[in-house]
Amino acid sequence: MTALLSTRDLVVGYEGRTVLDGLDLDLPADTFTVIVGPNACGKSTLLRTMARLLTPRRGAVLLDGAAIRDLPTRDVARRLGVLPQSPLVPEGITVADLVGRGRQPYQRWWRQWSAEDGRAVEEAMRLADVGALADRAVDTLSGGQRQRVWIAMTLAQDTDALLLDEPTTFLDLAHQVEVLDLLHRLRAERGRTVVAVLHDLNQAARYAGHLIAMRDGAVVAAGKPREILTADLVRDVFGLDCVVVPCPVSGAPLVVPALTQTGSTQTGSTQAGRTQTGSTQTSAVPAVTPAPAGAPVGDA
Amino acid sequence: MLRLGAVVVPFRWRPVVVALVLFVLLCLAVVISLSLGTPYVAPVDVVRSLSGAGTPYDLVVRDLRLPRAVLAAVAGAAFGVAGTLIQSVARNPLASPDVIGVTQGAGLAATIALTSGAAAVLVAPAALLGGLAAAVVVFALGARHGLAAQRFVLAGVAVAFAFRALIEVVMLTADPIDGLRAQIWLIGTLAGKGWSEAAWIAGTLAVLLPVLLWAGWALRSSTLDDDTARGIGLRPVARRIGLAGTGVLAAAMVTAQVGAVDFVALVAPQVARRLVRAERPPLLCAALLGALLLVLADLGARRLLAPTQLPAGVLTAAIGGPYLIFVLLRTRGRRS
Repeated sequence: MTALLSTRDLVVGYEGRTVLDGLDLDLPADTFTVIVGPNACGKSTLLRTMARLLTPRRGAVLLDGAAIRDLPTRDVARRLGVLPQSPLVPEGITVADLVGRGRQPYQRWWRQWSAEDGRAVEEAMRLADVGALADRAVDTLSGGQRQRVWIAMTLAQDTDALLLDEPTTFLDLAHQVEVLDLLHRLRAERGRTVVAVLHDLNQAARYAGHLIAMRDGAVVAAGKPREILTADLVRDVFGLDCVVVPCPVSGAPLVVPALTQTGSTQTGSTQAGRTQTGSTQTSAVPAVTPAPAGAPVGDA
Repeated sequence: MLRLGAVVVPFRWRPVVVALVLFVLLCLAVVISLSLGTPYVAPVDVVRSLSGAGTPYDLVVRDLRLPRAVLAAVAGAAFGVAGTLIQSVARNPLASPDVIGVTQGAGLAATIALTSGAAAVLVAPAALLGGLAAAVVVFALGARHGLAAQRFVLAGVAVAFAFRALIEVVMLTADPIDGLRAQIWLIGTLAGKGWSEAAWIAGTLAVLLPVLLWAGWALRSSTLDDDTARGIGLRPVARRIGLAGTGVLAAAMVTAQVGAVDFVALVAPQVARRLVRAERPPLLCAALLGALLLVLADLGARRLLAPTQLPAGVLTAAIGGPYLIFVLLRTRGRRS
């Protein structure tokens, strides 16, 4: 596994507060990596620093071995696409126009458009399935459509790697799955390296080929979800008691929070909940059917 | 797509048509402006005189009225350019040179020059320096956080208020006659001005032309947020400083020459944007519309209460007030 993006002794902070303190990390190429962790654990800070949206106090982010800070930002933009958490939609801009902005790193004021730009935009809109919306104004679209348009913009950049900061936040479940399926296809069919910060552990476990769990600015565990995602890890990282069972659909680890005191009085199944709390063994759970063919499952 | 050698520009009909229509209207407005007055000169004679055919009206048309009409067109274009650039950086359709303090800086310097008995030729250079000094203060206050839109506007409003207070102090302590001259300068007038003022403004725009060609392209990304802009390989802070600096230069120069003519810089970009139906003001159309507005405003200023001459700034303010109300009503209508 070669690393496309790495961090070396990375120190990042905001006024007075250090968020990441000497982080060393390698993100494998050609893999869908998902970063999870509790709020304020530094996962977004890490992603934004790797995307050069934040400047580290010390240390470096390496893109293919070269320090990203020393590369012209335009060159970086041809190799690394970024989707920030809640980008601002320019008023009245059309889908095709916004997706076209992704071609910026290939353009100059004296060469504002090329046939290649046209092809890349068309391809990006097709991949993200927003071709039918090309002439619509982005601010009239639904949240899910809008997110696909933004992803299409980063696809038009035609980069090897794509970094996304909580791309599913503010979307309903169906649209979350839609976006994650799209990211999965990008990895599987196009060989793109995808790195995303996600909140939902189960989605992370299902889609990630490489999972990174963070707490307090440090990496607690990193590896394949099936190997690292255990009840112990969840308790360690999130401070949450849970049961981890195989997902009946994908076979990926499924995190089920244990019953709390409040929950138990409501459901009356205190005993069952208590006995399994914190258990790492999943054998007590009935066997599940393996994943159906073609379902997006984290890379083995 | 439009290809001119190596230059390839995304081509849309609408901005081109709007620009052509505005240009024709501007030419018509200039001819009408040269025609009206005492004595009245028929438009046919205006055109013949301009084409060098030699008419009895040459003195009136070419020497008396033309310089002022050209100044109005050039100054209006500069206001349009300045407004477009400043509004884009401020991300605010109500921003203009007087919102970010440039006008007040120029006004304070001009007021001091006019009331302290300094030579008349020093007024414009003093105003230019005053406008730029105010801009430097605004940039210094706003640039600490990357000249972010809101901070830029707040710094500008603060500086504008401070300078306006200083202007009042100077006016109150000045000789009443000097104070009146300063008052007229502050409203902005084209009376008694012509070729030399127009040349200064046109020269500035000509020097800025390569920057403006770049700006027309860079403005495209000014509607994106900083993170997105960085993601596609731009340096948003450097861009904002470049765009705002260019706008401030144009604004300070034109204000120094014709005074604080209000509202042209405010109105022209937004009306042009609506005409072109773009998500940001178009630079060229805003310049043409600014020119058209100021030519018409100055014509009105000359003729409405003739023989009394109004400062053009009174007319532009009279147009600008209703326009602001229109924007407010439209904004509310769209949200409800």
